[in-house]
This record gives sequence, structure tokens and C-alpha cells, in this order.
Amino acid sequence: MTFEILMSLLFATVRMSLPILYASTGGFLSEKSGVPQIALEAYLLVGAFTAASVSYTSHSIILGFLSAGLVCVLFAQIFNYLILVLKANSIVVGTGLNLLAMGFIPIVSKLLFDSTGSTPSIESANLSHQSTFYIVTIITILMMCSMYWLSEKTTWGLQIKFAGEKSEALKSVGVSPVLRRWQAVSLAAFVTGLGGAILSNYLASSYSPLMSAGRGFIALAAVIFAGWSLRKTWIVVLFFGLTESLQIQIQNFDLGFKIPNEFVQMLPYGATLVALLVMKNKQLAPKEMGSVL
Amino acid sequence: MVYMKIKLNYDFSSIIGFFIGVALSSILVIIFKENPADVLKVLSGSFLQSKFDLGLTLFYTTCFLFAGLAFSIPFKAGLFHIGSEGQIVISAMVAAIMGQTVFNFFGVVSAWQIAIGILSIVGISVLTGILAAQLIAVFKVFKQSHEVVVAIMLNFILTAFATYVVLHFYQNPESQNPESGLIHPAYQNFKSDFIKTFFDQSAVSSFLIVAVLTSIVVWFFENKTRWGLELKAYGENSSAAERMGISRAKINFLALGLAGTFSAFVGLTEVLGNSYQFKVGFSPSYGFLGIVVALLAQGHPIGMLVSAFIMAVLHKGASDLDLETQHLTRDFSKVLQSLIIFCVAGAYYINYRRKKS
Repeated sequence: MTFEILMSLLFATVRMSLPILYASTGGFLSEKSGVPQIALEAYLLVGAFTAASVSYTSHSIILGFLSAGLVCVLFAQIFNYLILVLKANSIVVGTGLNLLAMGFIPIVSKLLFDSTGSTPSIESANLSHQSTFYIVTIITILMMCSMYWLSEKTTWGLQIKFAGEKSEALKSVGVSPVLRRWQAVSLAAFVTGLGGAILSNYLASSYSPLMSAGRGFIALAAVIFAGWSLRKTWIVVLFFGLTESLQIQIQNFDLGFKIPNEFVQMLPYGATLVALLVMKNKQLAPKEMGSVL
Repeated sequence: MVYMKIKLNYDFSSIIGFFIGVALSSILVIIFKENPADVLKVLSGSFLQSKFDLGLTLFYTTCFLFAGLAFSIPFKAGLFHIGSEGQIVISAMVAAIMGQTVFNFFGVVSAWQIAIGILSIVGISVLTGILAAQLIAVFKVFKQSHEVVVAIMLNFILTAFATYVVLHFYQNPESQNPESGLIHPAYQNFKSDFIKTFFDQSAVSSFLIVAVLTSIVVWFFENKTRWGLELKAYGENSSAAERMGISRAKINFLALGLAGTFSAFVGLTEVLGNSYQFKVGFSPSYGFLGIVVALLAQGHPIGMLVSAFIMAVLHKGASDLDLETQHLTRDFSKVLQSLIIFCVAGAYYINYRRKKS
């Protein structure tokens, strides 16, 4: 009995942490290159919506995932143009991008499906949940391996880090830090878009309004909390996934006393604050975070 | 000569950005097969339909103005304060609860007892807002945490906490909606104030005057007082300011304390001036709309009067889009706002180039 509970908890933890895992990997890339990224929420929403509508119309999960990533990259070009060419403040533009995603999706959804809320369920499009599970597993493993290799083992990854730490050094070897930031933000949008696709295609079976529910912000918190280190970020993400799956488990079990629903919902956020209080904070942020190039 | 200098230094970039944003969204409207002239007419004209509509717009103006001030003051001290949403909700909750209980202590027989009651509601609600904002400052000062992360977490926590308290202890028994009971009738005297009567019992109340006066006081504070100038100096260059002997802790606590005060006033405008109760989810994310208001006015307190009114007109007009157009929904106001943000933020480039050359 206890073993079963533990196993289901473990499985739920991994399941719930998937979208945050993708978003935090994206957030890590962008933040490391020196671009503060609070638009992760927007990428998640756009990715989720694109994936849901493409999978529904094309009956293909893989196509849904791919298009989610690509549409997010296109969407991120607004951000890139404003930040890198027009030198706008990235936090301001990120706020605007979140608003744009929240406002634009219902309008497009009304145009395509004549409903302002959710897209039609993918289940009706004859896709087995089993195959989705395999696809998600493969994509996740591929994503984790390739992102780790890219950011920690390649020259490109090192140059990304230099764009955030000391852009002058990068310029002196003849690499444009603007180009590296552009690449990092675009890749971040792609990865986060995949996370959004998981949100709508795997954790649910359709897009529902504001379904990211603050996960983009949680992912950003995970990156900052882990001190801008990719491996630690992934561990922190698992912790968030655990609190989120505990939320569901606590509601299912009779513990003899009742914990109010609102307090259960607070759990991940409260845990972050407590951890921030307890942790030894060092100044680990990239040195040229948010600097104008 | 002096006149010329003032004229040249004045920064038109946000106004230019605003109009480019409106133009871009008009193009978007054409793509969605609507007539942009019609949409703009609905968006900008709906507040003129009646006195009641104008009153509602002015109510939004009040809330946006306070929310904008709550963002702009920490912004000048170099803090990106997105935590006012949580502070608004928690102080509105406290105001609603105080409104139901405080008459036990002071009585409601004579006029001065009522006055003390209302003052204590305002005082305690503002105190709650300040304390909620100081939590961010505590993390910022003592743990060097990033204020955006702490503010995001606090937004979720405070909103959930307010919902919990209201639903479990103060739920209105006569209503199916998640909301608290009404505050004591004696404290509802904003119902009969002259602004509300003038606008046919609309949502607006005397808090409008408070908001306008506050923005003038904030202008004075920022430009004429020692603390205000220290705050701005710290925001311009924190390490230089610290060398000059300006304390980092003091600036953080001061800026966020003021932000908490203004956030609390958004909650009070709703509870004392409009609905006389705490409704779960009453705020259409005032905290985030305040950011737009502040950015549009480039943080100038008097300019914010104008930008808050413009945003209120758009916000009011958007609710009519559902009825008046076929394809567009009220969400279009968010698209319009975001395009305006982009263009205003991008238009700073004009300045950037001018400084560079």
C-alpha cells in the first residue's frame, strides 16, 4: 500500500514537473546569456495553444510539438527585436509579451474554433495516450541531453555564458554578443514552447484558458533559486513537481484532519520563500544581466 | 531661450510610441476582418454613453492611478515591483473584515464614532498593505533575493490566503458567489458622497479626489524632498549613492512601503467606494495594468493622471467589444495594451540614440 502510494507520488512528480522542466531550461539559456526572461509564461501558453490546435487538425502529436516550438520562436522574435535592436528594457517587454499571449490566443481561438475558451479535445482525433507517452519520454530525454551538452560542453555554450558575464571578452574574439543573445533567446523560446505542448497534449487533452497557471514564473524562480546552474535547476524543478503532486495526493487521501485547499495550493510558493530565507544567497547572477549591448 | 530648452528636453517618445501602438493594432483589426474605425470608436467612445459609464471609467482611473504609483516609485529606486496585486487583494480583504467588525469597538451612534471607524479601517488596511510590501523588502535587503521572484510568490500566497479567510470565516451567507458579507451600513457613506450622486450611483467615489491629490503629493515628494531625491539617486546609480551615505535598506523599505500604501488604496477604493464587500477575484489584475500606466507616463506622477484615464477608457471600451463586434472579444484590450507597451518601450530608442550621438 505504502509502496504503491510512493510509486504513484514519484510518477506524478515527474509528470507534473515536465512543463516546468522545459520552461526552466529555456529560462536558464536566456538568463545565462544576460537577458532577464519573464515571458516564459507567454511561450508556455502559445506553445500549448499551437500544439493543441495543430494536433487536433493534423492528427499528429509530433507535428503538434514541432509547430509549438517553431511558433514560439517566431513569437519570441518580437521580444528579440525590441530588446536587441531597439534596446528596450527586457522586463518591460516580457510583461507586454505575457499580456499579448493572454489577449491574442482567445481571439485566434475564436477565429479558428469559434470558442473563446478552450480548443476541441484531441481525444476525438484518435490519438492513443500510450503513443503520446512514448513521444514525450523520447523528446524529454533528447531535450535534456542536448541542452546539457550544448550549454556545458560546447564552445557555443561557453560563448552564451560570456554574453551574460563579460560581453567585451566575447567581442574581442570576434563573436557578436548580440548574435549569441539572439540565438539563446530563440532556443529558449523553442524549448519552452515544447513544454507548453506537453501541457496541452500530455497533461491535458486540450488547451484551456491560462492553463500554464503561473508555471512560467515558477520556472524562472527555479532558475534563480538554483543560482543559474542547469543541473541544480533541474533538481529544483523536481522539488516543485513534488509539491504540486503532493497537492493532488493530499486532496485524495483522508489524513484524519483536513488541510484547506487554499493552503495546499500555496505549498510550492511558500516552499520557495522558505527556501530563499534558509538558503545562503550568494551573488550568482550573470554579471551583465539586462545590460544594453 | 529657457522656454526652448524645456521644449527640447521634453520627451515625446512615449506619445509617439502610443500612437504607433494604436496604428499597429488597427492593422491587426483589419486582419481580423473588422473595421478599425468601428473598433476604435467602440473602444474610445463607450465611456461617453452615459454618466454612469463615465463614472465607471473614472473608477478604473482611480484604481489604475494608485496601481501606477505603486509601481513607479519602486521603479525609480531600481526595483521592479510586480507584487502590488497581492497587496491589493490582502488589504481589500482586511478592509472588508474590519468593516464588518470594527463597529463593535467604536459604536456607530454619532458622526465622530463613524469617522473614527472609517479612519481605523483605512489605517489598518494601509498598514496591511505596507507590511505585505515590506516582506519583499526584507527578502531583498537581508537575503539579497531578487524582488521579482519574491513578489511573484507573494502574489500567489496572499491571494490564496485572502480567499481562504473570506470563504471559511466571512462568507456572505445570502450569496452563492465567493464573497464576504457587506460592511456595516454606517461605513457605506461613500454611497452618498457628491461624486457618486453626480454620476448616478456609478462605481466612482471621492477616492478619485484622493488619487489625484496623491499623485500631486508624490510629484512633490519625488522632486522637492530629501527622501524622494535620495530614492531617485539610488535608482540612477546604486553604488554611487551608497558611497554618498544613502542606506540601501532605507531606500528599499521606503520605496516598497510607499508602494504598499498605494496598493492598499486600490483595495480601499473597491471595498469602501464601490462594492462594500470583498469579492474573490475582484481585481482585473490592477497590479499589472498599473505597470502599463506607469510606463506610458514614464513614471511622471502628473502624466500618470492622463495615462490612467486613457487605460481606463480602453478597459471600459473593451467590455463592449463582445457585443459590438463579431470576431473580436474583450481580450483585444490586452492585445492593444501589449502593443502600446512594446511601442513605448521601443520608442525609448529615439532617446537612446540621441544620447549616444
